[in-house]
Amino acid sequence: MPKWFFPAAIVCGVLFAASPFVVANAPFEADLGLVQKIFYYHMPSAWMFLIASIVCGVASVRFLATGDYRHDRTALAAGELIVLFGLLTLVTGPLWARRSWGTFWIWDARTTASLVSWMIACAYLILRRYGGPGSEKLAAGLALFGMANVPFIYISVNYWRTIHPPTTVVPTLPFSLGFPLWFCVISFLLLFVVLLKLRIRVEEQQARVDALYLALDERS
Amino acid sequence: MKTLKRWCAVVLLLVSWGIIAAAQPPQPKGEYVPVDQLPPTESMPAAPLLITAYAFVMIVLFVYVLSVARRLSTVQQELNRLDASIKQGGRT
Amino acid sequence: MMRVAWLILRKDLTVEVRSMEIVYTTLFFAVSCVLVFAFALVREGRAPEDGAAGILWIAVMFAGNLALGRTFERERQSETLRALLLGPAPRPAVYVGKLLGILALLFGAELLLVPLVALLFQARLLAHPFWLIAILATGTIGFAAVGTLFAAMLIRARSRDVLLPVLLYPVTVPVIIAGVRGTAALLQPELDGGIVRFWVALLVCFDVVFVTLALWTFEPVMTD
Repeated sequence: MPKWFFPAAIVCGVLFAASPFVVANAPFEADLGLVQKIFYYHMPSAWMFLIASIVCGVASVRFLATGDYRHDRTALAAGELIVLFGLLTLVTGPLWARRSWGTFWIWDARTTASLVSWMIACAYLILRRYGGPGSEKLAAGLALFGMANVPFIYISVNYWRTIHPPTTVVPTLPFSLGFPLWFCVISFLLLFVVLLKLRIRVEEQQARVDALYLALDERS
Repeated sequence: MKTLKRWCAVVLLLVSWGIIAAAQPPQPKGEYVPVDQLPPTESMPAAPLLITAYAFVMIVLFVYVLSVARRLSTVQQELNRLDASIKQGGRT
Repeated sequence: MMRVAWLILRKDLTVEVRSMEIVYTTLFFAVSCVLVFAFALVREGRAPEDGAAGILWIAVMFAGNLALGRTFERERQSETLRALLLGPAPRPAVYVGKLLGILALLFGAELLLVPLVALLFQARLLAHPFWLIAILATGTIGFAAVGTLFAAMLIRARSRDVLLPVLLYPVTVPVIIAGVRGTAALLQPELDGGIVRFWVALLVCFDVVFVTLALWTFEPVMTD
């Protein structure tokens, strides 16, 4: 493991342990009240969901272009993180929505696009798990199609359902509300990097195990 | 010829994305909002939702970290075992 | 390249015409699908509003999924795909040939389904034939483009039968949305040309992007 890994993991753990207290100390939002605090976990999860999608897409393209299995391992690790952070986003969002919109689920542009992208990521993992040998390249093709699909999904769902939740408020946040958000974003970002590295490490070791088995087979 | 084809494809992609970007959305006529927007003060209390959300996130993250750590240690053990058996095989 | 694609299409058509297995089974399945929807959704003799558009597209997609699976299953059993790939034909030509075959089958199914759905669900689908053809053609091309690539990719994979819909449906969500909303707009008493034009434009862009992507990725994905 690289030198930065263990310090980063420890810092990440500390930040996460502290985050509920930071969030509890943040002032309430005038209109939305207590439930708005879900935002401090929901927003970073959504951003990590997006970042993981980009990492997976880029790694898949590089794997298809070069055939280098390092990119494939990165794509797989990022694929799992898309499903993980997507799950967090898709659960915390409706819990917030239940209070502020009155219902758990609304078929609007952003929620539906997120759901469809999350399902494509699940399909990616299913393909890798059950597709049998040689499914790495197929999965990379799927990831590429999924990435290219994002603008289409967004546009088509946008004009399919025109209920708009409040648009992003992040740039206009005052410090007292902004600080907990950025605290959580940094925690999540650090967690993303740590998890990605950890997961890639598992795949690297597995590849070495497979290579050793092959070498043993050849010897006997 | 192949380079030309590739450039054509890239141009086509860019043009089509440009078309999408420029496409004027059809103005929605009076949309009926199918969901009853309850005034927040009269719907569910917020605390259970908040606690559920945070608890869910913590639990899922914890489970995932445990799962990855377990997979890593399994693979590491197998690697050590194979290393040992190869060294033995090398010696004899 | 188009000559090779045409040869592949002719080969597929020749093989199919001998037994007509895929054609008959796909058409029958599509009709059964529509009947199931009729029994599920028609209440007191009336279909739900805009139901016809959704039912038409769902039937096309389910039938298309089956047809894709069956077409490539036939290739797999005879190992003809490997022969095609080993030959001197440019890989994208193989893809285009296969795509044209699937399109022919799906257009045939739609030729049957449109009057059937219009009849069973009292929908005036044929009121604006030019726009209907535009939406059906562009939507079917988008669906078939992605489907042909995925079906070819999965030919050697395990669990390929269930993996095809698992992969295909989430990725073709824009086609479903655009196709159904565009067709539903045609069913309105007053045709709003702007909306229909928008959905057709979106489908055209989708087709361009995904056919191009499929042509690019067919080669790296099919090589071992």
